Amino acid sequence: MVAIVTRKLTKKFKDKVAVNEIDLKIKQGELFALLGVNGAGKTTTIKMLSGLILPTSGDIVIDNMNMKKDIFKIKEILNISPQETAIAPNLTVKENLEFMAGVYRIKDKGNKINELIKQFKLDEILTKRAKTLSGGWQRKVSIAISLINDPKILFLDEPTLGLDVIARKELWKIIEGLKGKITIILTTHYMEEAESLSDRIGIMANGNLVDIGTSKELIRKTKTKNFEDAFVSIATRGE
Amino acid sequence: MTRMINFAKRNFKELIRDPLSLVFEIALPLFLLFLFQQFDIPADNYKLENFTPSIILFGFSFITLFAATLVAKDRTSSFLIRLGASPMKSSDYILGYILSLLPMVLIQNVLFFLVAVIMGLEFSISIILTILVSMVISIFFISLGILIGSLVSEKGTGGLGSIVVQLVCFTSGMYFPKDSIGGVFEIICEILPFEACLNITQGTLHNDFSNLTPADIVVFLIYFIAILLLSIIFFKKRMISDNK
Repeated sequence: MVAIVTRKLTKKFKDKVAVNEIDLKIKQGELFALLGVNGAGKTTTIKMLSGLILPTSGDIVIDNMNMKKDIFKIKEILNISPQETAIAPNLTVKENLEFMAGVYRIKDKGNKINELIKQFKLDEILTKRAKTLSGGWQRKVSIAISLINDPKILFLDEPTLGLDVIARKELWKIIEGLKGKITIILTTHYMEEAESLSDRIGIMANGNLVDIGTSKELIRKTKTKNFEDAFVSIATRGE
Repeated sequence: MTRMINFAKRNFKELIRDPLSLVFEIALPLFLLFLFQQFDIPADNYKLENFTPSIILFGFSFITLFAATLVAKDRTSSFLIRLGASPMKSSDYILGYILSLLPMVLIQNVLFFLVAVIMGLEFSISIILTILVSMVISIFFISLGILIGSLVSEKGTGGLGSIVVQLVCFTSGMYFPKDSIGGVFEIICEILPFEACLNITQGTLHNDFSNLTPADIVVFLIYFIAILLLSIIFFKKRMISDNK
């Protein structure tokens, strides 16, 4: 079953085309990585798919609902972990979880929060204010919060940016654990991350979705030795 | 619990846990209220029944400052991106910000009047009425904060917030009457809403509205409605433009 469909999805800012007529199909339970150099249009695409900004033209269909008509219904079933850590700084970790449970009107919020505490091993930091946590913990909490509504679709915008190797590997393990259960759209600058985590990879350049496939398919297509070379070859195509 | 109240609860916690917010919104006005009663200043402005409403207004100017800081901080962090992708609506945000500051306004009012009564202000039903009226006036100050927070960055809120504090101090008639300077200054005081706010608050406390002119009511209502509408328009606009 298809979770996300876009048809000629376009976003223009005045004369600049940030995203240009993207056609995309993402299957339910798939982990889809969106790669591209800075300014390629990844974050703009994610913002349109998550209902944060409206497209200039084109269609977005999520879980068989059209974004134009059913934006608030769609927002009930998705969640996002933004590029920077998005938590309320003066609230404790538990209060952050409770607050977001309130935003999504989670009925059995006690159980859901306990489940996330267990899954992300948050016990030791539960009563600490978010602003006092290390970068790694903040990111972990930020991802935990994004699962509060059991989203069908989860957007992870550069989830491991700025984290040390250990914290990054730990987050990879968590993301791998979510694979298959949730449709995940991930943006990253780390080739290794995209290669090891994702089912398929889409590469964007200058607002266009220039190629799509598994990491192996993309390496084969570009006749390169590794995925990083394949990415460079595709992202710089036509320059 | 509605999303709006849930958001208001979060905002209130953020504010109450910021020690600076408590110092400026409560401790500083209380200190000034106490301090100015220690001298026998031969001016009506400093009489307890006149100066207590002035202190309420002075406290509100810091409510503007901290509301602006909270909105700007939320806007410039990824926190509002997360909320923007949630089913929260614009009304949940605006009313959530306003509602979160009303308990702080109530705490301010109760403490200011408590200290004033201890220092000799006669307790009457007018105090309760003044608290209720000032809660309505505070919505103007909170909206002004939301507007400032929607327009400038967290750093900018400090500068603009300080201007509001200064305007309240000098144009409301808190420290000296406008006719003691006269001329252009007097006109500025009449155009700005702060003197009107003070006249309404003092009039309610004294149960005597002889100082309150129809122009005061008109000026206050125009600012109240305009700032509330502008805060909604600009907050919604910035929520979208910040996400571009």
